[in-house]
Amino acid sequence: MKCRVAVDIGGTFTDFCVLDEETGELRTLKTLSTPTTPGAEVMNGIAEIDQRYGLKPSSIGYFSHGTTVGVNTVIQRRGAELALFTTQGFEDVLEVARLKVPDPYNIFSRRPAPLAPRERVYGITERMLKDGSVETAVDAADVRAAVAAATADGADTIVVALLHAYSNPDNEREVRGIIAEAAPEMTVTLSSDVWPVIREYERTVTSTVAGYVQRRVADYIGSLQAALAKSGVSAELLITKSNGGIMAAELGKTNPIQTLLSGTASGVIGAADVAARIGASDVLSFDVGGTSADVAVIRDGKPAFGTGEMVGDFPIYVPTVSVTSIGEGGGSIAWIDDFGMLKVGPESAGSTPGPACYGQGGERPAITDAFATLGLLGGAELGYGAVTLDRAAADRAVGGLATRLGLGLQETAESIIRVSISGMYLEISKLMSRHGADPRSFALLAFGGAGPMTACLLARELGIGRVIVPPTPGVLSAYGGLIADIRNDFIRTAFVDLDEGGLAVLEGHAVDLERQALAWLRDEQGFEGEARLIFTADMRYQGQSYEIETQVKRADISAGRILPIAEAFHAEHAAVYDHSDPEAPVQIVNLRLVVSGSVAKPDFQPGTMTDAVAKPVGNIDIFLDGAARTANLYARSELDCGNTLTGPAVVSQDDCTTIIPPGFDAHIDVWGNLVIEQEA
Amino acid sequence: MAIDKVTLEILKNHTRAAAESMAFTLYRTAHSTFVKETEDFTTGLTTPEGETFATPTELGATWFVGLNYGRAIRMIDEYEEGDICMTNDPYSGYVCTHPPDMHIWKPIFHEGEIVAFSVGHIHNTDVGGAVPASLSRTLTEVHQEGVRIPPAKILKKGELNQQVLDIFLANVRAPDQNWGDLKAQIAACNTGERKVKEMIERFGIETFKEGVGDLLDYAEAQARAIVRDLPDGTYPFADYIDEDAVDGWPCRMKLTLIIKGDELVFDFTGSDPQLESSMNMPTGGDERHVLLLVGMVYVLYSLDPSLFLNSGITRVCRCILPSGTMINPVFPAAVGMRTLSCNRLHGLTFGAFAQAAPDRLMGAPASGGPIMNVNTIDNRTGRRIMAAINPMTGGSGGRAAGDGTDGSGANQGFLKNTPVEINEVEAGIKVLRYGLAQDSAGPGKHRGGLGTDMVFQAFSPNTKVTARNRDRTTFTGWGIAGGKAGGASKFIKNPDTDHEVNLRNTDILSMGPGDIIHVTCGGAGGWGDPLTRDPQAVLLDYRRGWVTADHARDAYSVVIGEGGIDIPATDALRAERAAPGKDDGFYDLGSRREAFEAVWTDANYDALTECLASLPVHWRFYAKHRIFAAIAAKEAPATNGDDVRALFEALLIEFPQLLPTAAE
Repeated sequence: MKCRVAVDIGGTFTDFCVLDEETGELRTLKTLSTPTTPGAEVMNGIAEIDQRYGLKPSSIGYFSHGTTVGVNTVIQRRGAELALFTTQGFEDVLEVARLKVPDPYNIFSRRPAPLAPRERVYGITERMLKDGSVETAVDAADVRAAVAAATADGADTIVVALLHAYSNPDNEREVRGIIAEAAPEMTVTLSSDVWPVIREYERTVTSTVAGYVQRRVADYIGSLQAALAKSGVSAELLITKSNGGIMAAELGKTNPIQTLLSGTASGVIGAADVAARIGASDVLSFDVGGTSADVAVIRDGKPAFGTGEMVGDFPIYVPTVSVTSIGEGGGSIAWIDDFGMLKVGPESAGSTPGPACYGQGGERPAITDAFATLGLLGGAELGYGAVTLDRAAADRAVGGLATRLGLGLQETAESIIRVSISGMYLEISKLMSRHGADPRSFALLAFGGAGPMTACLLARELGIGRVIVPPTPGVLSAYGGLIADIRNDFIRTAFVDLDEGGLAVLEGHAVDLERQALAWLRDEQGFEGEARLIFTADMRYQGQSYEIETQVKRADISAGRILPIAEAFHAEHAAVYDHSDPEAPVQIVNLRLVVSGSVAKPDFQPGTMTDAVAKPVGNIDIFLDGAARTANLYARSELDCGNTLTGPAVVSQDDCTTIIPPGFDAHIDVWGNLVIEQEA
Repeated sequence: MAIDKVTLEILKNHTRAAAESMAFTLYRTAHSTFVKETEDFTTGLTTPEGETFATPTELGATWFVGLNYGRAIRMIDEYEEGDICMTNDPYSGYVCTHPPDMHIWKPIFHEGEIVAFSVGHIHNTDVGGAVPASLSRTLTEVHQEGVRIPPAKILKKGELNQQVLDIFLANVRAPDQNWGDLKAQIAACNTGERKVKEMIERFGIETFKEGVGDLLDYAEAQARAIVRDLPDGTYPFADYIDEDAVDGWPCRMKLTLIIKGDELVFDFTGSDPQLESSMNMPTGGDERHVLLLVGMVYVLYSLDPSLFLNSGITRVCRCILPSGTMINPVFPAAVGMRTLSCNRLHGLTFGAFAQAAPDRLMGAPASGGPIMNVNTIDNRTGRRIMAAINPMTGGSGGRAAGDGTDGSGANQGFLKNTPVEINEVEAGIKVLRYGLAQDSAGPGKHRGGLGTDMVFQAFSPNTKVTARNRDRTTFTGWGIAGGKAGGASKFIKNPDTDHEVNLRNTDILSMGPGDIIHVTCGGAGGWGDPLTRDPQAVLLDYRRGWVTADHARDAYSVVIGEGGIDIPATDALRAERAAPGKDDGFYDLGSRREAFEAVWTDANYDALTECLASLPVHWRFYAKHRIFAAIAAKEAPATNGDDVRALFEALLIEFPQLLPTAAE
């Protein structure tokens, strides 16, 4: 076993991160994605790894990958023909949703059309009560009639989401049995399998997304497995998950919902790993691509998790690393409104035609063009030579706005960047307020193609003192897949008071969850190392309508110790909301268990520090902070640990450009990170 | 505009960041579940004069964009750094519009000068008074609606004013909640202050001050451009609340919209006299009071969602609001349930604008469904349960661009429901059905949105249900441009049994074990002739369970048989019913309103308005009821106002004490 490979397959590029376990060297590679023939890009990459680095496919002992196939299936609406079976009387569950519309100020605002069209929703005669007792048994004839109607109407997948199925899945399973008999070719998704948690809309919409992507993701994983085998890779294919972990890809075929947001999640896991190694505990991960900036909050080294994260138009309620997507990326277009105000986005030039400076037919000025006009780009090839930079095209595009603004070309370019930064400032201010955090105590960890380009300017606006650019900023999502743990989440809705009786109920759930989790880890994953089990409870004060996830000790549940559990909740409530109410009765809505198993981590060795000032590869003329300046241009590959740099400077590398404005100093740390700090 | 447009755009983003951060701070640290559930709160930044220049849009109530704090601000003689003021008195400063809303404002100083205020409100679950939650249609004076704090400093130079706080908290039912929420408001104001100071540091004081003025001008210029795009004209419209008090007479709200160039006038003459129930809207005669302009802000923003939301928008409009009427009541008229009249006014405003721009606006928004709470006893634990179950909302009206939204939307798009599973676990009820109300949509080429529909059962004796804002049992949401009115709302106890009770607009009731309630929201109005609706769209609604075959035939002349649309039968029916050249007028008002207006013609109502306006305010409601009762008793009352005037004269003779003041 000689090397580990992690791949992140995006819409345009496929990123590879390769760890040579003998030398400890981390290699990266980008190839063009081949959406029409999934697997081909991976085969190309494996061949190139062999060619470039001499690492044979047979030497690959670990192969993880993340993919956007599931997300794109939803965004492009190219998934299954869904039918939905609900409890009779509740067929409008997806239409009514939680009522709130996307933009309540707009009287025409509407919720997106559900993935299961209402005419293919069938109410089934059955009824489960809140305590899990069956009030009305499943009417088999009803189910058979619904299957026949759904089949006649072209459905290929049936999602079954019945009331109170979190409490007792028997009726859903019985329905599945009847469907299997009546229409064995039908794919069936049960809400109690996908994520058995109370709140019917949330469980149902999550299940429809799961059902919608199931066949496509399964096919895709199948072709990838075949491609790997063909390439001579014998390692079992692993897949990254939205919870920041990994699992056997084989399981992704039946449980694809857990993989949907793995791309952004792995980036955050990669960012957290980089931050942890250098002892930065509070970090904003800042991943900027062509159309959006993805920001995540990492506190005390731990990424924040969320539910209701969006996949295309739909929220999904499985544990997901929480990422806020801001509609501003390198391709966002600048324009002027009817009142002379300069705006940036939300329209984006995307990857085709892309910014004008990519020379692929784009004519309107994108953020990347503004950077090009300022002379800040073009010091090196972009995207491993995939595109070349056309500065004149950028100038033309930016110049189109200059007259209306009454500004010079470069002032216009800088204005575009300042407006775009202020838009990001707005969104990140909201995010920080939501967390009750002060950005000034955070570091900004920048990656993605356009993150390092804008990070320092954003840091200045937010009052953030430190920016970190990891050695391989273009492939941090892939890197996250290289170092992720095997991880899975389990949940039981309990809905009990925090008292002796409640804890007795909880104990029963805990035993079940533990058995389920260990079975998953040992039998399904074949993991033999130490199992880590973390129990948390979704708790609230009686009368509240929202819960806070609080870590609880298994031993306290078993021993029926109320006090430590209550105290943990009061403390968590105070941490989240700034107040707690130790007198108020507490309820436990859900019990959760996270099981994880550590995979061997790359053993990075710190570099040898020099105290030399970095050597530039040249000088470039730039325009920044309202003035023409000369800046040093550095090649990232030639920078050594301990090298120091002073802004203004530009650092170029294969997959991105880092801009260090005046007033910032930088150095390469012992792990090879470019650490940029604002002068006090 | 004084500062450059690039800096202004950047400043705009910073001011919004400040307002949004305030909202998140408030939402995060508020104590009451009500605030978290309903987001009935606002935050913002105003100029020293009280004009709001920054408003959050991600969180909070949608109703108070551009609220002017000026009159309340000026009621405090002197400000010092660290002061925070508050009021929940609807009759002091006219910033608060019903007593549950506690408004606060904090001066922000720069080198000794006030450069801005950070402001906001929270709807408190209870502020004392005659009934729990402080809101009831039955209340007749603001004194019954809870403790009122006129503008006062709750913090003086950063020090808590314990006396004022104690007086407030001594008069409310759950003081911990009010105090907890007030602390969250204070935290939000402090966040706003910090952000303003950061902006001043970032942009410089002069740029900040000028920029804030420019942001108001910018919103105004945007609003004017939208108005200029609408045709000049005078567009009168009226709508009704079913009852002006419990079991009362219909209550008319009248709006004459005048569009001239880039200016608007809202003339409310003809709206009912102030009510002896709590649905009055306290506006203090402020001709730009935002409570009257919510519908306008909705319309302008929806016509162009790039509109920057602040007080500048309100500069395009001026209201004419006669004193002593429901839209400008005099002290001490009760105001707690002004939510219901506000809702009606939003729709009324949409309807008036629809005349000006029939292809850009829509039929009536769905309305009349209640906000529901259940108070019962858990049979297992014996514990008393108070739980908010669903707000019964409905969708937006049909419009040229397509059908209305179903279940929610228009001016009710900010509300959230409670999951069925949570209701069953927490509220001690069983839900038998929750979804969209069949056949509730106003028919049209593009139909209106459907209302929501719920059936639930109680299991304990004496289960109390409150249903605030019940309406539209009688008068339904109008259709436009050939579209038809939406369905009425429903509130029925034990439907389809021999002990069925139609609860109509009741807002509080008791259920016994086994009792079932069926409640729906009225549907939204349609747009365009339903005979021109694509039969396939009707069929799809049928397959979706939203339209019955009978309704498809009656309303759309689409005949649906076993295998789908019966095309020959549909063609024949449509041909038979087609009435080319027939003009039914711009609105379809629904049969009950047509019947009502056959008696209460414009001439009659105008006569009534004129007569009542001549009376002292405290006689008007009484006199209206007397005249309504007398007209109802008449076999064929005159339609030209003569009978109304005659009845009024008779009243003056009956009550000679009225004569000396009648001329006022």
